[in-house]
Amino acid sequence: MTNKTAVVGIGQTKFRSKRRDVNIPEMIYEAVKMALDDAQLEPKDIDAIIIGNMDHFEGINFSELWTGIDAAPGYLKPVVKVATGGTTGSSLAICGYHNIASGIYDKVLVVGWEKLNEGGATTGIITAFDPVWERPSLAGALGPLALMAGMYSAKYGITSEQAAKVTVKNRSNAANNPYAHLQMPDITIDYVMSSQVISYPLRLHDCCPQSEGACALIYANEKEAKKITDTPAWFHAVETAHYYTFGTDDKMYDLPTATIASKKAYKRAGIKNPIKDLDVAEIYEPTSWSELSWTEALGFCKPGEGGKLLDEGITQMSGELPVNPSGGVLSTNPIGATALVRVAEAAIQIMDRGGKRQVPDVEKALAMGFGGSLWTEVMILGNEPLR
Amino acid sequence: MSKTRKGQEDIFEIKWKTDLPYRYSIGKLAVKFFEELKENKKILGSKCPKCEKVHFPPRAVCADCFIKMTLDDMVELPPRGTLEGFTVVNYPFTDPSTGGIRPFPYGYALFKLDGADTYTMHFVNETDVTKMKIGQRVEAVFNDELIGDLTADIPYFRIIKEEE
Repeated sequence: MTNKTAVVGIGQTKFRSKRRDVNIPEMIYEAVKMALDDAQLEPKDIDAIIIGNMDHFEGINFSELWTGIDAAPGYLKPVVKVATGGTTGSSLAICGYHNIASGIYDKVLVVGWEKLNEGGATTGIITAFDPVWERPSLAGALGPLALMAGMYSAKYGITSEQAAKVTVKNRSNAANNPYAHLQMPDITIDYVMSSQVISYPLRLHDCCPQSEGACALIYANEKEAKKITDTPAWFHAVETAHYYTFGTDDKMYDLPTATIASKKAYKRAGIKNPIKDLDVAEIYEPTSWSELSWTEALGFCKPGEGGKLLDEGITQMSGELPVNPSGGVLSTNPIGATALVRVAEAAIQIMDRGGKRQVPDVEKALAMGFGGSLWTEVMILGNEPLR
Repeated sequence: MSKTRKGQEDIFEIKWKTDLPYRYSIGKLAVKFFEELKENKKILGSKCPKCEKVHFPPRAVCADCFIKMTLDDMVELPPRGTLEGFTVVNYPFTDPSTGGIRPFPYGYALFKLDGADTYTMHFVNETDVTKMKIGQRVEAVFNDELIGDLTADIPYFRIIKEEE
């Protein structure tokens, strides 16, 4: 029997291309202070801290000794660091869950960040891969994502226009999110379609930006959560599915790990029909094409019908299952924080605190992390503890 | 330390470049792969003794069976395969293996070597996407002098055009 676990405090910075005005501890402090204030807690109230980013990007192995002690604030507390590539944020979120659900701690702080423009993002990503077999031809994330988009398009007849429509949806959603990096209320399909092809079929605006910022969440068990807030966002399921050693070991489309992880999560959370039973989804779409494919893999529609799902308006803000009201990864991508922001935004929707990006009457929300050799993490949150 | 003025804020940054040389133990199966590549112009994969799945790149453990593969499980694969996916990388970035900008644009593809059960990726000699399509045959192009280095010895795979 696991303890009920909830998100009770949320902090995030305004994400931008560059945060030259702050160093990393200063940037982390902004998100952590906001989360603590949100939960009306002091550092002394936190039992343990989980921190994470990908060291490759800044070229500094930020140890707990720096970020975990001052800004996080981990003085005399247990601190663990997590780094799993694109899924770093969701791995952080799931580790936090385990710390509460297991009964070991009552309240934990989870912090993810990245200052992606202090180094080379593509270069940093390449260094995460095998030096002998993968690095020589790998062009960071976008090369493989382009391969995936091309194969997906060829198999199902998904068009560039449908992909562009995802960018239009997400970046206009981002205009309703004060923390989002790229806010483009007036973006058009033509604007996306006329941007430069950077790795066929990906155009510049089919791709996520490089962002800097931090996200912090406070989790509590049932007893503590009720003291802190009237609207905790309860975890109903967390699932991780890893795949083969190399991303190229299997065909690179249809993201099987998203199907495996989401099926397990739905079963655990009692979700029979994700379109009807979920009220909102925050998914990790590094490209516009990815969102179409991932909506299929997550069971929102059948394989090959991601474009149709979008065309029917189901994933729009006014649709039956809005996908990425925050603007998603296409609008904001601070890698070590990116998947944690998905959880934060899912919790914001559950708590009815989304302002202009709020979906009405959210009872169940899905958050997803994606990364590495095509692995996936799925979390389901709800407005009541799962009984 | 450099200081630049931008708007109302003073922005301080330091910049550095670091040479960080590494050594990497490539593993027993890769050693054999590079020996055979250099000496005999052969491409080897590894075949799981239990499920018989043929892995390329060769590796020590079959993920499906958790069975160890040894040098005895290495099998030769033909230098030919079928194109599964392709792109043309057309953006600049620093190559961590050299410290310089990797030359671009370059053709980059996913393909399956004949007889392998996994896919693999490598450079291809085409930068016009209209001339590539899924299902085309590809063939490894070997350098005249072989030194036991993947991209030096096999700089790219050649796309075999239909008329050939």
